[in-house]
Amino acid sequence: MNREEEMLSAEVSADSLLGAVKSFLIESAAPHLEGRDRFNARVAANVLGIIQREQTIRPALQALDQDAATRWLPDIDAGANIIQQLSLALARREIENEPGIFDYLKARQLLVTAINNPKYASRAIAKQRWQSN
Amino acid sequence: MLPEQLTEHLNIALPPLLADKLTGTGVTDLERLSGGANNETWRLTWGDTPLILRRRPFSAGAVANLEGNILGLSLLDEAQVIQLASHTAVPVPTVYGVFDEQHPIGEAFIMAFIGGESIPQRWLTEAAFAPARDQLAYQCGEALARIHTIDCANLPGTIGPTTLTRRFEAAQDRLHAFGNVSPALQFGLNWLVDHAPADTPHVLLHGDFRTGNLLINNSGLCGVLDWELTHQGPPGEDLGYLCAHVWRFGQLQNPVGGFGDYADLIAGYKSVAGWSPDLSTIRYWEIFAALSWGLVCQTMGALWKSGQGDVERAAVARRRSEAELDMLLLIDEWED
Repeated sequence: MNREEEMLSAEVSADSLLGAVKSFLIESAAPHLEGRDRFNARVAANVLGIIQREQTIRPALQALDQDAATRWLPDIDAGANIIQQLSLALARREIENEPGIFDYLKARQLLVTAINNPKYASRAIAKQRWQSN
Repeated sequence: MLPEQLTEHLNIALPPLLADKLTGTGVTDLERLSGGANNETWRLTWGDTPLILRRRPFSAGAVANLEGNILGLSLLDEAQVIQLASHTAVPVPTVYGVFDEQHPIGEAFIMAFIGGESIPQRWLTEAAFAPARDQLAYQCGEALARIHTIDCANLPGTIGPTTLTRRFEAAQDRLHAFGNVSPALQFGLNWLVDHAPADTPHVLLHGDFRTGNLLINNSGLCGVLDWELTHQGPPGEDLGYLCAHVWRFGQLQNPVGGFGDYADLIAGYKSVAGWSPDLSTIRYWEIFAALSWGLVCQTMGALWKSGQGDVERAAVARRRSEAELDMLLLIDEWED
């Protein structure tokens, strides 16, 4: 259900709920708090933003990781932690020179930072550099 | 600890320490300053003199079993290093007294307050600080060269010599201990091992000399704070750390701390030391700094999961992804 369809129905999505709590923290709660609590209210609102973005971006990230597993971890068990197994294979120096591994890590990092901090200054440079190749 | 309790303890502990140094009979205006993920920083007034109390709010032993904890030095050792630095021309606050963890105040030290701006978002961008920013990279080079002259024989026993190989092993241990959650940091560590510079003689490094830990006034650098990550290592490490992307606070166009150029940093260092690490060495240590920051973020997450810290610490754990991006970007640029 997209945002427009949701507006016309009685459903309130998880995304909308997160948005509501975020607004409460910033607009209602934070102005009445002081010091560390006020600071943490804003941090908490940012955390909700991370969760919102992760909900949207996670499928693309999972698809990318699954593709990496198919390429470089052909014997991996179903349900195994792909990221952990890739890290261990890199630590054992088994896959770091495989064609495409660096490109995979770069593409993955653009997605992960799109979740955690899309405004991070280096990200714009990395995105321009890596997506124009 | 509540401010009222802390005031009470300070009013008992401070008179004998300050009697022949400062006029005053009691603590007023005790206020906790924001910031500081590990240690509390309190500002207070003694007579007419503003002072700073650095205090560790929990027992270091509570987290000592966490592999690769990022607490750094004890506050007692940190105070000792600041006192050593005060004998050089590096601007540091006078330390008036230290308290161990058995003291009612807890592990802490009390020092002079240095006026100056510490908040990067202010002094990196406001026009009033433009003249200060112009000379700051050179001054930072001078200050780092002076820190590097401190005789390691006088250091507390906890700041021992190490090797680059041991540092790599420690980083690998931390990646394993926290569940191998980052292929990007692992790829970066492999790269750092493969491109390591020849190990040069080690010096005392500040270890956290960066925008955010510097105090700035109209004349430029007026205070170097937060010595808790002090350790021994090659001189280039401190210079590269200051240039790390994460510590430019968004001002990526200014490679030295978000305010200056490499050439000025190198010239300032050379003016005191007679030589300087070269640019490629500095850039290598920028990549190492990204790894270090990624490991700190990872440890923050583990500390939070163990019940230490608030929502900020949980959020910092997610900033690991910024360090991962920087590592990959810097390696990509290096390979060009």
